[in-house]
Amino acid sequence: MNLVRGFATTFKHILEGPVTVQYPEQERPLRERFKGKHALKRYDNGLEKCIGCSLCAAACPADAIWVEAAENTDEERYSPGERYAKTYEINMLRCIFCGYCEDACPTEAIVLEHEFRLSFNDRRDAIYTKDKLIDPLPAGVEGTPRQTEPGVYTRSIPDMKNPD
Amino acid sequence: MLAEKYPERVAKIFSKYPDKRSGVMALLYLAQEEYGWISDEALSEVAALCEIDPTQVKSIAGFYTMYSEKPKGKYWLQVCTDLPCALRGADEFYKGLCDYLGVKDGGTTEDGLFTVEQVMCLAACDHAPMMQCNFHYHENFDLEKAKTLVDRLRAESAQKQPSSEK
Amino acid sequence: MAETVTISIDGQSYQVPKGANLVDAAKLHGTDIPVFCYHPKMKPVGMCRMCLVELGSVTVNRESGKPDLDEHGQPVIRWQPKLQTACTQTVSEGMAIRTSTAKVVEARDDILEFILTSHPLDCPICDKGGECPLQNLTMAYGPGESQFLYDDKQHLAKHVPLGELIYLDRERCIQCARCTRFCDEVVGDDVLAFHERGRKLQIVTVSDPPFDTKFSGNTTDICPVGALTTADFRFGARPWELSEVPSICPHCPVGCNISASTRLDRDSGGKKVIKRIMPRQNEQVNEIWICDKGRFGHHHSLSSNRLQTPMLKKDGAWVEIDWKTAYQEVTSRLQKYGEKVGFLAGPSLSNEDLWEMRKLARRTCRDCQIGLWPATMTGLEAVTQAGVGVGTHLAALGPESAILVIASDFEEEAPIWWLQVKQAADRGAKVMVANARPTKLDQYAKCVVRYEYGEAVEVLNHIAVFARRHDKLNQTLVEGRVDGFAELEADLKGKRVPKQHSEAAELLLDTENLVIFAGNEGLTLAQQAELMQAAANLLILTGHVARPNNGLVAVWPGANMQGALDLGFSAEATVSLLDNPPSMWVIGDADPVAEDARAAAVLDQAEFVVVSTQFMTPTAEQADLVLPVLSFAEREGTFTNAMRRVQRFYMAQTPLEGALSAWKVFAQIGSALPGGDKPRISAALVMRDIAQHVVRYAGMNYTDLAHVETQFPDVGGHDLYYGGNAYANHGGLGIQWATNAEKENYRLTVRPVSAEAPKYEDLTLIPIRLLYNRDVLFEPSTVMHARIPAPYADFNAKDAAQLGIIDGDQVVISAGDLQINVSARVNGQAPTGFVLLPIRLSQLPVPAAPAMCSVQKVEE
Repeated sequence: MNLVRGFATTFKHILEGPVTVQYPEQERPLRERFKGKHALKRYDNGLEKCIGCSLCAAACPADAIWVEAAENTDEERYSPGERYAKTYEINMLRCIFCGYCEDACPTEAIVLEHEFRLSFNDRRDAIYTKDKLIDPLPAGVEGTPRQTEPGVYTRSIPDMKNPD
Repeated sequence: MLAEKYPERVAKIFSKYPDKRSGVMALLYLAQEEYGWISDEALSEVAALCEIDPTQVKSIAGFYTMYSEKPKGKYWLQVCTDLPCALRGADEFYKGLCDYLGVKDGGTTEDGLFTVEQVMCLAACDHAPMMQCNFHYHENFDLEKAKTLVDRLRAESAQKQPSSEK
Repeated sequence: MAETVTISIDGQSYQVPKGANLVDAAKLHGTDIPVFCYHPKMKPVGMCRMCLVELGSVTVNRESGKPDLDEHGQPVIRWQPKLQTACTQTVSEGMAIRTSTAKVVEARDDILEFILTSHPLDCPICDKGGECPLQNLTMAYGPGESQFLYDDKQHLAKHVPLGELIYLDRERCIQCARCTRFCDEVVGDDVLAFHERGRKLQIVTVSDPPFDTKFSGNTTDICPVGALTTADFRFGARPWELSEVPSICPHCPVGCNISASTRLDRDSGGKKVIKRIMPRQNEQVNEIWICDKGRFGHHHSLSSNRLQTPMLKKDGAWVEIDWKTAYQEVTSRLQKYGEKVGFLAGPSLSNEDLWEMRKLARRTCRDCQIGLWPATMTGLEAVTQAGVGVGTHLAALGPESAILVIASDFEEEAPIWWLQVKQAADRGAKVMVANARPTKLDQYAKCVVRYEYGEAVEVLNHIAVFARRHDKLNQTLVEGRVDGFAELEADLKGKRVPKQHSEAAELLLDTENLVIFAGNEGLTLAQQAELMQAAANLLILTGHVARPNNGLVAVWPGANMQGALDLGFSAEATVSLLDNPPSMWVIGDADPVAEDARAAAVLDQAEFVVVSTQFMTPTAEQADLVLPVLSFAEREGTFTNAMRRVQRFYMAQTPLEGALSAWKVFAQIGSALPGGDKPRISAALVMRDIAQHVVRYAGMNYTDLAHVETQFPDVGGHDLYYGGNAYANHGGLGIQWATNAEKENYRLTVRPVSAEAPKYEDLTLIPIRLLYNRDVLFEPSTVMHARIPAPYADFNAKDAAQLGIIDGDQVVISAGDLQINVSARVNGQAPTGFVLLPIRLSQLPVPAAPAMCSVQKVEE
């Protein structure tokens, strides 16, 4: 009897189509919360969100992130406030895509996006530098570094609001 | 220069104290009397007289409300907004006074007559709210009384009479 | 621990040192009382209120004099109704505190909530974030949320430069006043102060130049928040990314223990580099302070001008060669010149370098001279006999001690000792300053003795005469162990002592302890040798030797002059080398050409000059072969400070490619000579050789030098409130070698000294030392350039009037063959008839000893 029940399951599935897809011709939609390659975000005005605080590197369990910071000036401004990331590197061979960096970021600068097709021919190419990670500029705004008015971008981290 | 202009007064101030640095407050008064306010140059001058660092003089000038580190108007209105005064409505009183004079916090009227500012405790908590006009106390004050005072002082100045300040 | 009292902390009884601060005492037994404003190195002020505890005392029955007991037989404690600040309490018998009751916990929580009302939440970009007491204490004791409104937060300037070294972030300041108190209490430079009141309270400086003190960097260490940060480190790394490497400052004879905070660096090609220098606690050396020269003067190690390959001069042009060829070149030359080789060691070679250099010299010929540069100071014999006792602790000196500083501008030559002597004076120690001109220490001195330049020895002789006349000699010591007393006595007999000197003598000799710091300002080498002997005479005769806090310290002009002298190098040898120039010179990390015209001329005549150096100095340029060596940060080694403490430094930075440790270079060269042995493989083994061959260093080894003991006050531990882990000493406290006076079986020798001083009749040039100069190791630290004065000379007002010059004029000073262009200062520093000329303010040589000079004004 059990035998019959077992085969019934088998025969039922014979009639169903295959669940595999023909990647890369066909692609399956990714989930909203899929964690792929990182992106360094910009504000709408084109300034970088990253302030080079290195908290992502501290949170990273795989020690995949390397950050070196430097000081902004109004003549050469990368991000709001005093500090920006001079060097920002992620070693994609080390990264385990856990997303802790995203959680640690105080300015929501680093976000794991949906790109997962990472391939490299050389181990060195696996180190993604800042120019590979940073988002393109929004249309019509000036890039970084740029000259800004003194006294406008004094704060690195957006002010907190009172709870309602 | 104070030392050249008032040698006797400076000497008298120093004669009251065992060491020179103790004369700093009296000299700051003298400097304010002479220049109208305590400028950076005045700070350095007093510091040189007392043989201390100008930073220390600045600290003293900043701590006491009777020294002004900005040029100020003819009448210097200081309103205490510390806690006891605030409980008796000093904040509203101060805001009303500013509005009446048409200046911002710490500002001077366009005619250069009045400077208003908030200060720390003036030791008259029992008669709060209170105001000080050129070092004269006006206690148990309210906005109406203040307006009357301002109008009177303005009128007096317009007549170019020596002010009584009261 | 001398006397103790019993106090009760959270119901447990503990023995604590009498007179200790309650916070320190509790910490000693592992109970943390959190603080912001309190600092164990400063007086308590009770400003921050973070240390609130419940305080009580045992009630004592008046009749029986015994504590009242409750029904359980426990003493009854009367608790004070309100919480008290622990930092303002001194422990007393029967004191009881509770540190973890609900009342205390709530109070701390509230205080933190208040402190945080306007503190910005920018920890991610704050240099202090990660080693921040406010951050730590908030996490440990603070409220989860604030009742205050964000809109009411004060927004203040975040980038206020206090001078060019320190930045102030006004928002972050929690008004603890540690920085202003440091400047006022510890340093005595009142250049930081609070301005305004209440919430508007701010730190200001209006001195010229701003924040004008040589110790400004220390305020960033003690700041419990990130309000004060250094311009040099700014955003260099996060604290948790740094690894601390123990090191020793290579700039002055104090030998401050420092900690090099290092991190890998992309710009330097992935090398490990020094990001900042922090003080490392060594209570008997620098406590927890370092001067700005030590803190910011490390950039030479990372300079792009460092030499990376050995170079040989061929037909006037440099040719790069490999090390093997370089060794061969030197070896063959050494063999060729044999007896006619001179060796010269610089002031910051490590003991290991010096040892291998000495070995090389001995292998080259039996009596090759091994000279020391700069050749301005001597007196090893005096130090060996009467140096300060092992265990000397300047930070503990008080009213029972006297300190004499003679012929030295102390703050410029040994800043941290200056700081400690100044504080000792504040505690009541009798400080006496003897110099020909006013120095900054004068204002803290009980007694200032002025003499004419060159007469320093006379002052010490007079004090000795006074001691003899007034029965201040230590007869037991003199009769039992001292040779040569009769001759000295005969020499001193009948000398008239001027009133000023006898007053000074009375002050100095009336105390239990006496430390003498001797410099060389205005003295020739011969006079300086006499000064050292005169100091030793005085100390031995009066019995101020062989005990801690007693004895002689020479203010040497370099970090490891003591080590060089210990290992047989001497200024006398240098003089003899210059008098009878050898054909070949081997120079280790010294720059005589830039400092001395005569040496430059002599070296120019030499047939072959080898220089081991980090930079292409004027000496290297004039040489025939340069050998690139590593900086103090790139290798291991030991320095001996002027208190004879041998201290280890460790490899902090990835060594520069191509360069080698100087000891390795000398050892390699030596190994090819006849009788040469294989080079040692590590500095530790070289130290083992030294310990075997040099009596003073007998028994020393790297393990013992790295030994660390618990220090009091404990600021480098795991507490949350002193901030930073750099204070913790993991590199060793070092070992002081014992003087002969301390060894019972050694006899001590005194001898008459000649106090003869030349009568300076014409205008005389006196070279003086400044802390901030253009020394080859300091010049690359560009952050300090604003503090290095342009070349100048100090004139007396009388002389200036005669010469027709005023303050700010450009003048040419001619001394011998030298023409020196400087600007003139007329500010009351120089005595009549003397011109003070700081050395090393440019790369051009100035006289190294007092010299006749003439002055000409440069017409514009």
